[in-house]
Amino acid sequence: MTRIRFDHRPFSRATRALVAGLGLVLLSSCKLADVFDLSGNQSTMLTAGPVAKAQWDLFMVTVYVCTFIFIVVGAILAYAQVKFRARSESDEHAEPPPEAHGNPFVEIGLIAASVALLVIIAIPTLRDIWYTHDVPEDEKGNAMEVVATGNQWWFKFEYPSELVKLPNGGEAPLVTGNELVVPAGIPVRVQLRTIDVIHSFWIPKLAGKVDMMPNRANFLWFKADQPGYFYGQCAEFCGESHAIMRFRVIALSPRDYAQWLENQKAPARTVTPALLADAVDRSARVQFAAMKRNPGEALSASPAFDADPLNAWREMQHPEVGENAQLIATGRQLFAAKTCVSCHSIRGHEGIGISGPDLTRVGARSTIAAGVLENTHERMHAWIKDPNHFKPGNKMWFGGYNVKDGDNWKPNFTMNDQEIDALVAYLHSLK
Amino acid sequence: MAEVIAQSGFTGKQTARRATTFALFPRPTAKTGLVSWLTTVDHKKIGMLYGGFAILFFLIGGIEALMIRTQLMVPNNRFISAQLYSELFTMHGTTMIFLAVMPLNAAFFNLLIPIQVGARDVAFPRLNSFSLWVWVVGAILLNVGWISHFVPSWNFGGAPDVGWFGYAPLTSKSFTPDLSTDFWVLGIQVLGISSIVASLNFIVTIINLRAPGLTMMRLPVFTWMALVTSFLLVLALPAIAIALVMVMFDRNFGTNFFEVSGGGQPILWQHLFWVFGHPEVYILILPPMGYVSEILPTFARKPLFGYPIVVFSGIAIGFIGFGVWSHHMFTTGLGTVATAAFALATMAIAVPTGVKVFNWIGTLWGGRIVTRVPMMFALGFIWMFMMGGLSGIMHSAAPADAQQQDSYFVIAHFHYVLIGGATFALLAAIHFWFPKFFGRMVPEFWGKLSFWIIFVGFNATFFPMHFLGLNGMPRRTWTYDSNMGWNEGNLFATYGAYLLGLGMFTYFAVLVWSFFKGEKCGNDPWDARTLEWSIPSPPPEHNFAAIPTVHARDAWWYEKTHKEEIAQEKAAHIKAEESHGGIHMPDQSWYPLFAAIGLLVGAYNLAQLHYPVTMFGQQVLASHLPLAITGLGLMVAACYLWALEGPGGYHLHIDAEGKVTESRGDHH
Repeated sequence: MTRIRFDHRPFSRATRALVAGLGLVLLSSCKLADVFDLSGNQSTMLTAGPVAKAQWDLFMVTVYVCTFIFIVVGAILAYAQVKFRARSESDEHAEPPPEAHGNPFVEIGLIAASVALLVIIAIPTLRDIWYTHDVPEDEKGNAMEVVATGNQWWFKFEYPSELVKLPNGGEAPLVTGNELVVPAGIPVRVQLRTIDVIHSFWIPKLAGKVDMMPNRANFLWFKADQPGYFYGQCAEFCGESHAIMRFRVIALSPRDYAQWLENQKAPARTVTPALLADAVDRSARVQFAAMKRNPGEALSASPAFDADPLNAWREMQHPEVGENAQLIATGRQLFAAKTCVSCHSIRGHEGIGISGPDLTRVGARSTIAAGVLENTHERMHAWIKDPNHFKPGNKMWFGGYNVKDGDNWKPNFTMNDQEIDALVAYLHSLK
Repeated sequence: MAEVIAQSGFTGKQTARRATTFALFPRPTAKTGLVSWLTTVDHKKIGMLYGGFAILFFLIGGIEALMIRTQLMVPNNRFISAQLYSELFTMHGTTMIFLAVMPLNAAFFNLLIPIQVGARDVAFPRLNSFSLWVWVVGAILLNVGWISHFVPSWNFGGAPDVGWFGYAPLTSKSFTPDLSTDFWVLGIQVLGISSIVASLNFIVTIINLRAPGLTMMRLPVFTWMALVTSFLLVLALPAIAIALVMVMFDRNFGTNFFEVSGGGQPILWQHLFWVFGHPEVYILILPPMGYVSEILPTFARKPLFGYPIVVFSGIAIGFIGFGVWSHHMFTTGLGTVATAAFALATMAIAVPTGVKVFNWIGTLWGGRIVTRVPMMFALGFIWMFMMGGLSGIMHSAAPADAQQQDSYFVIAHFHYVLIGGATFALLAAIHFWFPKFFGRMVPEFWGKLSFWIIFVGFNATFFPMHFLGLNGMPRRTWTYDSNMGWNEGNLFATYGAYLLGLGMFTYFAVLVWSFFKGEKCGNDPWDARTLEWSIPSPPPEHNFAAIPTVHARDAWWYEKTHKEEIAQEKAAHIKAEESHGGIHMPDQSWYPLFAAIGLLVGAYNLAQLHYPVTMFGQQVLASHLPLAITGLGLMVAACYLWALEGPGGYHLHIDAEGKVTESRGDHH
C-alpha cells in the first residue's frame, strides 16, 4: 500500500505568536463591541412599528433555528474532527478503516429532522408574508395614503388627500421632498413610484424595503408606534450617487401633524421688513406639544442634532432669529435669475419646475441634498457652491450649472459667495 | 484537396467512409513553445491555460475588492470617486463570477474529467480549444473599458458600471449612454457562448467516453457534479443570452423590451436574469462540492459516506435550483402568493444541501483524518459553507428578507458561500491536484500558514458584515455617514480584507515557488482513490498507456488492492489497441483560435456599432458596421475551414520499455 509521504511539521512557537499578535492588533484597533453594534439610526433590531417588529421577530425565529442546527451539526463535526484525527505518524499509516459506504436509516432520519426544522420557519414566514404585505383589513379605514416617487437621487413625497391651492386657482396634492412627515399611531400606506430607474424605499426601523419599479404599482405600509425621527435610504443600486440617496421619516402626534399640515398647505412665507417688525411672526408658526423623545438610541457624529433629532427637527420649524429682509429679497431674485426656477417650485413665490424637490418649506427641513447634509447655513452654502462634490452626477450640476454643448458640458452660470449667502438666507426663510 | 481514408477515432479501425479535407493552414505539430499552447487541443494544457488566466483575474478581482474596502474603511471617505466605485464593484462581481470561479472550475473540468472517466481527451478536442479562446475574448471585452482611464482617446466611458446584475432600466441608453454597458452586454454574451460549448463537450465526454466498467454510479463524485453543472449551464445560459440580446436591441436598435418610455417592463429583465442567475449560484458551488467529496475520503482514508445520496442530492439541487429564482426578487412586489411559493421552494433546497453536509461528516466519522493542507481547506469549507447555508435559510423567510435584501447581511451571506465555500474548496483542489499536474509538492508549512491567514482574514472581513447589514447598511454604497453606527464594523472588515489579501498572496506565491522548486513527487503522493492518481505526475499527453477497466467506485483504490487482475487487463488492452493502430490522439489546429479572433474583432466593433471609426483624429468610416461584419465573417470562415480540415489525428505506440513513438497516416 502506498504511503502518504510528507513531513508533518507543526507550526513553530514563533508562528503562533505572530498570528496571535496580528489578531490582537486587529482587535485592539477598533472597539470590538462596536463592530457588532445594532443600535444605529437604521437598526433593524430597534424597531418602532409593527411591520418592522414582525420582520425582526421572524428573523429571530430563523436565528434560533439556524443556531440550533449550527450548534448540533457543528458539535458533531468538531467531535469527528478531534476524535478521528490521526495523532501520530503510525496512526496516519495504519491500515485504513473499513470501507463503509453509508446508512439509509441515518440519511432518512436526518432528512426528516431537516424538514421538521424548516417547518418551524415556514409557518411564521407564511403568516408574516400576508401581514406585512398590506394594511390589515380592520385598520384600512384608519390608514392614510402617501405617494413616494424615486428620482436620481432624491425622494418626492405627495399627499394625495391634502390638496393645496395653486397660484392659478387650481388644486394639487401637497408635495414635499426627502422628509416624509406622518402621524404616529396611524397606518401609512406608501404608493411607490419612480420617474427613472429602480429605487428601493427602506425605513429600517419602521418597515423593510419594497422596490420602486417603473411601470409597476408597488406599495408598502408601516405604522410608527410613537412620534420619532427615522432614517431611510434607497436600497437598490440606482447609479452614481445611489449611496447618498437618503431620506427621513418624521412621525408626529396627530395634533402636531395637523398643525404641520396646515402650515405646509399655506403658500411660501415671504419675509418683508414689515413682517419682521411684527412680533407675532417672531413666535413659532407651529406650536408643538411636549412630546416623548424618540426611543431609538442614535449614535451621532453631530451630537447637537442627534442628541434629540425630533426636537432638533422641531426647532427647524421656527423662523430664524436675525433674518435680514433685504438679503432674503436678493436671494429670491437670484433664485429666479440663476435658473433655479426651471427645476424647483416655491409655491406662492417663483418657480414651477418639478424635476427637482419642491422647496416651498425647505428651510424647515432638517437635511438637504436628500438626507445627506444637515440643513445649516454653512452646509447649504457648501452644497450650493459645489453640488457635484456632495452628490456626483446630480442634475443641478449637470443641466443647471452646466449645460450640454454637443457631447461636452459647458458652464451655464456661476455664483460668488455673496450671492450664495443671499440665496441661503432666502431658502432658510422658507419655513 | 486531398482524399484520405478516415480513421474512426473510437476504434482506430479503417472505415469505408471517405473524407475530403482541405487545409489552408497546415495542422501544427509543435509540442512545446508558443504555437503548441495557442493551437493545443490537449485537455491538460487547456485546463492549465484556463487556470492561469482565472488566477490572474482572481487576483485582479481581489485588488478591486481591496480598493472597495479601502474606500469604505472610514465614513465619508474620498479615496475613490463614486463613478470609479460603481465600476469597481461591478467588475469585482463580474470578474469573480465569470472570470475567476467559473474558469477555475472549467480548469478542473478540463484537467480531471477525461482522466477520471479513463479517456485520452475530451469528446471534441478542437471545440475545447474554441471554448478557451472564446472565454479569453469575453474577458477582454469586459475589461477593455479600463483603458479609458489611462488613454482618454479610447472613450468607452470606463469599465462597466451597472452592477454585475445590470438591472434595467439603468442599462438603458438614457441612463448609461457610454459604451461601457455595450461592452458588458457583449462580454457576458461571449462568455456564455464559451460556457455552453464547453458544457456540451463535457456532457458528451462524461456520457460517451467512460472507460469499460465505469458505470454512471461508479463515476467519481466530482465528475458527477461537473455533469450536473454542465446541464445547468446549458439550460440556464439561454435565459441570460435572450435578456442580453434584448438589452442590446434596446440600446442600439430602438426596441423597447425594457425602455419604460416605450412601455417596456424592467421587471422582465430581473426574471430572465435570475432564471439564469440562481442556477449560476449552483454552477459556482456544485463543482466545489465535488472537490470536497474527493478530498475528504482521501484524507479520512475511507470512501465517501452515502455516495448515491450525495449524487442524487446534487441532481436535486440542480432541479430545485431552477425553481427559486424569485427569492432574489422578494422586494420587487411579487405579491403574497408568489412570495410564499418561492419562500417555500427556497427552504426546500436547503434539504439536499444539508444532506451533503451530513454525508461529509459521515465520511469523517470513523475515519483516520490526516490533516494536510487540502484537508484543512476542505474542512474549512464545511464550516464556512454551513455558516453561509444557514444565513441563506434566514433569507428564505421572505418578510425578514425585506430588511436584509440589498444590505450588508446579504454580502456576508454570499461571501460565506462563495469564499468560505467555493473558494476554500478551490484552494483545497489547487493544492490537492497541483502535484498531479506539475509533478511537485507544495510545502506543507506555507500551505498551512496561508490557510490560517486566509481563514482568520476571511472571517474578520465578512462576519462583521452580518451586523452591518442588520444595522441597516445598504450594499453597493460608495460612502456612508459617520452617525450610523457603521464606522467600527467597516474599519474591522477592511483590516480583515487586508489580512485576507495577504493570505491569498502567500498562497499563490508559494504555488509559484513550488512550480520551480517544490519537492518532486510520484504518481500518488496522497494515497488517493480515483484514476488520475494511477498515471504519472505530470500525466503524459495520452494520459493512459492502457485504458483501465473499472470494477468499483474509487477505481484506483480498487486497483491498488487488485494489482494482478488489473495488470493483466491492461496488458490485454494495450495489445488490442496496438492491433487497431495504436493510441489515437487528436491533432492540433489553428482554427479555434482564428474563430475566436474573428469573434473578438466582430464583438469589439459591434459594441461601438453606431460610432464613427477614427484613425489619427480622422474619421475613416461612418460606423463600425463594416468592421463588425468583417470580424464575424472571419469567424464563420474559420469555422468553415475548421470543418474542411477534417478530424485528423495520429497514433502513439508504446513499446515494452515504455518508449513512445508516433506515427501518421494509414494503419492496420
